[in-house]
Parts: sequence; C-alpha cells; structure tokens
Amino acid sequence: MSNDILFLAEFSAGKPARSAIELATGAADLAAQSGGSAVALAYGSGAASGGAALGAHGAARAVVLGDEDRPAITYAPAAVAAARDAGLAVLAPATPNGRDLAAALVGSLDLPAFGPVRAARVVDGVLESEQATLQGSVITTARPADGAPTPSVVLVLANTFTPAEGGSGTAEVAQAPDAGESALSRATVAESHEADAKVVNLEEATVIVAGGRGVGGEEGFAPLRELAEALGGAVGASRAAADAGWIPYQLQIGQTGKVVKPSLYVGAGISGAIQHRVGMQTAEHVIAINRDPDAPIGEFADLFVVGDLFEIVPALTEEIRRRKATSGG
Amino acid sequence: MKIVVCIKQVPATGADKRYTADLRLDRTGVEAIINPLDEYAIEQALRLADAGTADSVTYLCMGPDQASEALRRALAMGGDDAVLITDAALAGADEWTTAKVLAAALDKLAPDVALMGMASDDARGSLVPGAVAAMRDVPLLSYGSELALADGEARVRRLSATGFDWIAAPLPVVATVTDQVGEPRYASLKGIMAAKRKPLETWSLGDLELSADDLHGAALTTVTDTRAPEEKPPTERIENVPAPEAAAKIADWLEQRKLI
Ligand SMILES: Cc1cc2nc3c(=O)[nH]c(=O)nc-3n(C[C@H](O)[C@H](O)[C@H](O)COP(=O)(O)OP(=O)(O)OC[C@H]3O[C@@H](n4cnc5c(N)ncnc54)[C@H](O)[C@@H]3O)c2cc1C
Ligand SMILES: Nc1ncnc2c1ncn2[C@@H]1O[C@H](COP(=O)(O)O)[C@@H](O)[C@H]1O
Repeated sequence: MSNDILFLAEFSAGKPARSAIELATGAADLAAQSGGSAVALAYGSGAASGGAALGAHGAARAVVLGDEDRPAITYAPAAVAAARDAGLAVLAPATPNGRDLAAALVGSLDLPAFGPVRAARVVDGVLESEQATLQGSVITTARPADGAPTPSVVLVLANTFTPAEGGSGTAEVAQAPDAGESALSRATVAESHEADAKVVNLEEATVIVAGGRGVGGEEGFAPLRELAEALGGAVGASRAAADAGWIPYQLQIGQTGKVVKPSLYVGAGISGAIQHRVGMQTAEHVIAINRDPDAPIGEFADLFVVGDLFEIVPALTEEIRRRKATSGG
Repeated sequence: MKIVVCIKQVPATGADKRYTADLRLDRTGVEAIINPLDEYAIEQALRLADAGTADSVTYLCMGPDQASEALRRALAMGGDDAVLITDAALAGADEWTTAKVLAAALDKLAPDVALMGMASDDARGSLVPGAVAAMRDVPLLSYGSELALADGEARVRRLSATGFDWIAAPLPVVATVTDQVGEPRYASLKGIMAAKRKPLETWSLGDLELSADDLHGAALTTVTDTRAPEEKPPTERIENVPAPEAAAKIADWLEQRKLI
C-alpha cells in the first residue's frame, strides 16, 4: 500500500470533465497531507493525451484506462486493476458515471465507501470524511473501520474542490495494468439519440436560475433565461417543470436529477420539496422567488423574495444589466 | 424470465430523524416505508409481468424483522413472492455489507434481472447495485428511464449529456431505474388481501453461508462523530414592495456578496 490519492478523471470529446480538474486539485491537496502523489485514473476520449491538463491541476501521474467514448462502467475492470492495493483513497465524482465506477471498485475489491462527502482530510494516515445526512440536518464524520482494506472509495460532489489555477506540472502518463475478463465490460451503446438543442452540464455551472411549476409553461422560462444570462449562469428546473416537458430532463435538479453546488442558486416558482432540496441545498447562496409567503423553500433560502416571478425576474434582470453597464464592466 | 426486485425499507421521507448514542440511525417512532425510488423498480417489474415478458417477480429485502411490512406492501402491488434477510449480525450494515449479503442471496435466487432503485433515501450512495453486479460478475445497466428485455438481452434507456442512449448487455444483469419509468401503482384492496397469502420466506446469514466474520463485523466504515451543521444566518425576506424596489434590494444583496 502507498499513500497515494487516486481519482477518477472522466474525459469526453477530447477534454477532461470539470470533475476531473476539481478532483485533481482535491487529490493533490490530500496527497500533500498523506505524503503521497495524486494519481489520475483517466478514461474516455482524450484520456491518453490528458497528462498536461491533469498535471496542471496537481496530478503527478495519469493511468489511462482507455481512450474511447463508451459506457463508463465498461472501464471498471481497468479501474479495478489500477486501484488494487494502490493508495489511501480513490476519489470519484458523485455523478451517475462516477457512482457506477465507484460501486464497481467497492464490489470488486471489497472496499469501504464514503459520501457524497462535503470535506475530506488525512488524519493519522487515514482518510476521514464529512458527510451531510438526514437532509442536511446532521454532519457525520466517518473513517474506515479498523483493518478495512484500502483504498477507501470516496464520492465527491461537484464544486467541493476549487480547481487550482496556474499549476505547471505535466502528469506522467502510463497504461493501465492488464484487467482480465469481467462481465462489467459487456455493456454497449445499442442506440444513441441526440436532442436538437444543446444542453449545458448543470453540474459545472457556478450560477443557476431554476424554474418550477410556477413558471407556467415553456415560454415562461424565457425571462429566467435572460436573468441567467445577465448573471453569467445556466437555467435549471424542478421535476415538475421537466415532467411537464417545458425543459429537458438533463436540467432537472434534485434527488433524481443533478446534484448541484453553485455559488448562487435562484429558484423561481419552486416550492422547495425535499427531493428538490437535496439537489441544491449545498449551493453557497440561495435566493427564492415565490408568491406564496409560506412556501417551504422560504425556510431554507438565504434570501426569500415574496412576489410574482413574472414581475420580479424581469425587473431584476434589468437592474443587474443597468448596474453592470454603469460600473463600466 | 425471472425478475428479483431489491427493495429497502427506509424512514418516511422528511420525517424527523436522529442518531442514537452509538451513532446509528434512530429508527424508533419513525414511520417506515418502501424506499420511494424502489417503488419505481417495482412498477417497472410489474409492467414487464403485465406484458408477459417476466414470468415471475420476487422481492428481496435486507433489514430488521419489521421490514417484512415493506415486502407485504410490495406484494400487495403485485408480484409472486418475497424473501427477507434478517440477522442480528447485520445491525449497522454499510453499503459494502449490504451488497455482499444481497449478492449472496441473488446467487441463490439466480434471476435474469436483479432490479433496484437508483438510490436509497437514507444512504444516497447509489453504490449497492454496482457493487452487487461486480461481486456477482454480471453487467450493470444503471439509471434507466425504461427497462426492456428481449432475446437474451436487457436494455435500459438512459439520459446522455445531450439526449438519450439505449445501453444493452447480455442476461443476467443488475439494472437500476429512475422515477421516469412511470408512477408506481397503488395496492388495491384485492391486492392487499392476496398479498397475505403470498409466500414470504425469512433467511438468516447462515442460510446464505455467510458469517459475521465474512462481513468484517457489519461494516467497513465507521461513523466517529455527529454534529449539527454550521449555524446559518436566518433567512432574509423581501416582501410587500413593488417589483423594481424588490429588484434593487436583491441586486444590493448580490453586490454585498460579490455575486455581481
Ligand atoms: C421519488 C421522487 C423523486 C423526486 N425527485 C425530484 C427531483 O429530482 N427534483 C425535483 O425538483 N422534484 C423531485 N420530485 C418531486 C417533488 O416532490 C416535487 O413534486 C417537485 O419538486 C415540485 O416542483 P415545483 O416546486 O416546481 O412545483 P410545486 O410544488 O407545485 O410548486 C410551485 C411553486 O410555484 C409558486 N408559484 C406559482 N406561480 C408563481 C408565480 N407567478 N410567481 C412566483 N411563484 C409562483 C407556488 O407558490 C409554488 O410554491 C421527486 C418526487 C419523488 C416522489
Ligand atoms: N437493505 C437493502 N435491501 C434490499 N435492497 C437494497 C438495500 N439497500 C439498498 N438496496 C437496493 O439498492 C438500491 C440503491 O441503494 P443505495 O446504494 O443505498 O443508494 C436501492 O434503491 C435498493 O434497490
């Protein structure tokens, strides 16, 4: 066993996902505490040439699991071979792909699993992590049981680590060790359907303006889009709005949608149901706009604006544009 | 085609929950329900049974004695029989232990599809299904908004970054579905009556040829501390003002926090 901190680094269309960059930073930080190196387990198209991008953010080495766009789970056998007896922890993004691969590591190598975590640190040579449980009402600290195998598998939410800027290192790139046969590699994409419009990856947005049933229809999202644009952010939604077909499911926030952690979340016409809340409660700042003064979202928002979203949202967009113009930005 | 649906009993969504002195979830006095996302897995299995694609639907749950209530409730929605795995040695089980036990039970039941929810309400890791697939060395098809079975193959319809894919793998598989499969049916009165006569077996660890030693106690993880989250400042409110004034106040608030 070594003190290395491994992390899953997803690539697609030739580029690292934001999660890969964030985890490179987080792994480097934890590796400095453990006295090991940050090691990327890189997969997806572009992974083989990702050494520079990952190195710039703190990775010392990159093990390439494969360089094709195929279902993430099919990289599990290679990830297992690379993680066997290697290091203190494997960080995985708390996304569907990241969870699938993390689960395969847990099941294949009998490893302890943590997360999604809100913070992690190395204490006495052991990875200790903090997790918000019971709808965020309790923070628990957890560590591997005595004698548990390593590495620990740790799910990490987007925006938990802020990518360090300006690093200069290049990660040394190596091929993954031989993986052997596994049924997990047998999943294939049988059909692929592209939507007409491109949708943003909400997990990567730092400002999100989300609309719910109160937005009333597809066209009701137009003022939200303008506000998002003025704030330099993206538009998201509740399940009610996605179910109604007003917005693609890729933009749903919540338990069965994306779990987001932007610096600013603005919810308009969203009541704040528990399943929505678990997807956005770790946003740094939460503004809610709702005409019902007793809406549950008012109990956990930082700023609760009681009023009609169709009046307030456009007025706010205008006000922000005006201030940006006068500050000479 | 044989389907086993894995369901977990969890404290009711939104109920007031606590930790006990030994840092376990305190389940006393809290209403227990079928993990809401597992109801979608049940619905998906029953639709395949209704269509004649699945010949049998079995429910599998690891939990305390009371979890048999969750299995009875599932049987009232439909399906054929159920197995509860319960054992004193499983108190405090984590996701690895849960996966280990379910994998052993699934080896015994040998379904074509082990169907699971995409996540449990309390653990929220979404790790059990993939860990079970790895332990049993069968393919994992996860996060399906629909599950289709034909010609010795399973497929799930899964959201992609920009649209959706159908992901396929040869049977047997572990599959998970989301809340997009369609709303779970209610149990009819007839269903509730019928459920009372459906077979429900109880297995212990011994029945799975597992012991507490194989399970590293009951967990590979341990909770060392619980505390209240950092105190948040109380919610600020803006109300009963015209929209332009409200907008100016929101903009001030954003400026103070350097968000614009
Ligand atoms: C298993 C499961 C999983 C789920 N997963 C998710 C999930 O991932 N994400 C999610 O969001 N939900 C999820 N849900 C659904 C969730 O329980 C709620 O039903 C949903 O979040 C409600 O959406 P909403 O807030 O948009 O609608 P509503 O609850 O109907 O709220 C609409 C709000 O808009 C306000 N409003 C109306 N008109 C205006 C106006 N003109 N101006 C200002 N305010 C206005 C109303 O006062 C109201 O508060 C899930 C449910 C289940 C059972
Ligand atoms: N104790 C359990 N008994 C039966 N199924 C379970 C149990 N725990 C988890 N599962 C299944 O695994 C899924 C994912 O759970 P989790 O990994 O805890 O988020 C659930 O939706 C269930 O289908």
